[in-house]
Amino acid sequence: MALVRPYQRTVYAMALSSSRNKEDAEDIVQSALLKALSRLSQFRRESMFGTWLVQITINEVRMRRRKDRRIEMFSLGHTPEDKTNYVPKDFQDWREIPSEALERIEIRETLLKALASIAERYREAFVLRDVHDLSIADTATILGISRGAVKTRLHRARLMLREILAPGLSENGRLAWSAREVQKPWE
Amino acid sequence: MGISCEEVWHDLSDYIDGELNSNQHALFDAHFAGCPHCRAVLDGARNVIHLYRDERVLAMPAAVEERLQETLREHTRSPRRSFLAWGLAAAAALPLAFGLFSILPRLKRRSSSPQRDVPPGTGLVAVSQDEKIKVFHIAGCAKLEGKPKFISVEEALHDGYTPCPYCIGKARQEKNG
Repeated sequence: MALVRPYQRTVYAMALSSSRNKEDAEDIVQSALLKALSRLSQFRRESMFGTWLVQITINEVRMRRRKDRRIEMFSLGHTPEDKTNYVPKDFQDWREIPSEALERIEIRETLLKALASIAERYREAFVLRDVHDLSIADTATILGISRGAVKTRLHRARLMLREILAPGLSENGRLAWSAREVQKPWE
Repeated sequence: MGISCEEVWHDLSDYIDGELNSNQHALFDAHFAGCPHCRAVLDGARNVIHLYRDERVLAMPAAVEERLQETLREHTRSPRRSFLAWGLAAAAALPLAFGLFSILPRLKRRSSSPQRDVPPGTGLVAVSQDEKIKVFHIAGCAKLEGKPKFISVEEALHDGYTPCPYCIGKARQEKNG
């Protein structure tokens, strides 16, 4: 488990934001981990163990999503992958949220809900780059896409999340709405 | 000449990630200084990154971690699946073993025992043909006893060899100067 620990937040974040509930997320993480262990003979030294584990998790998430199309209804599925199309719809001044606010479960639930509401391709890039703090190059390798595509997806993800979260999180970190009422301004 | 709001929105992420050249960066700075709307978009995007990067967000609950550990233990405990435990150790040892190669040339220069040296440029490690303990070494290791045999790291790990702790310590010392 010590080997897995540095990546467990990324793996869990990927699973949790793509699942209907925490039980499903745990199941995905467990399956991914056991698959990784059973396929260790396929592990190549060119990639780091963590990178490989995250790739297996992403595959597991994608496989389950294909099986369960119901989850698709929550996501923003067909946004053109072109950052020139993006125009901010909200210019609300959003000051930094105090760190103590993150102690509160409803804030964390809101962040999860917002992340779960954006399309998979944006979410994957965002989790790898901004949650796990991987480089753009490493993110591109894991997702099997170009650096340019990573940058585009990341750009969209950041701005979509800003538009979801900015109206609800006030200056002092209080929530203006509950996690169940996450709105997508572009809909 | 300044840049438009549309140009700022287009490359905002590149600005945040430091992917713009110094001229472009200066143009963005000048725009943000005079455009509260774009400044709000920038602050918001930075807040998003700041919030999600916090370890408390999307953290695996302790109970979930505990259950996963238990599952892992069950799978590595069974003799039939003992290769999993070996695999885990090997995966952990690989980056370490390859890290040792980064200082290999310096270690080789200091070696006083030429017959113990790893052949140059081969990326091999040394194991003892006489020793029963399954440990692999890098060039010049004083702990290597008996007749050396040179094999690849993958081969060493596959055959159950682990990195020599003395080599690891020496490597770290060399790396830290």
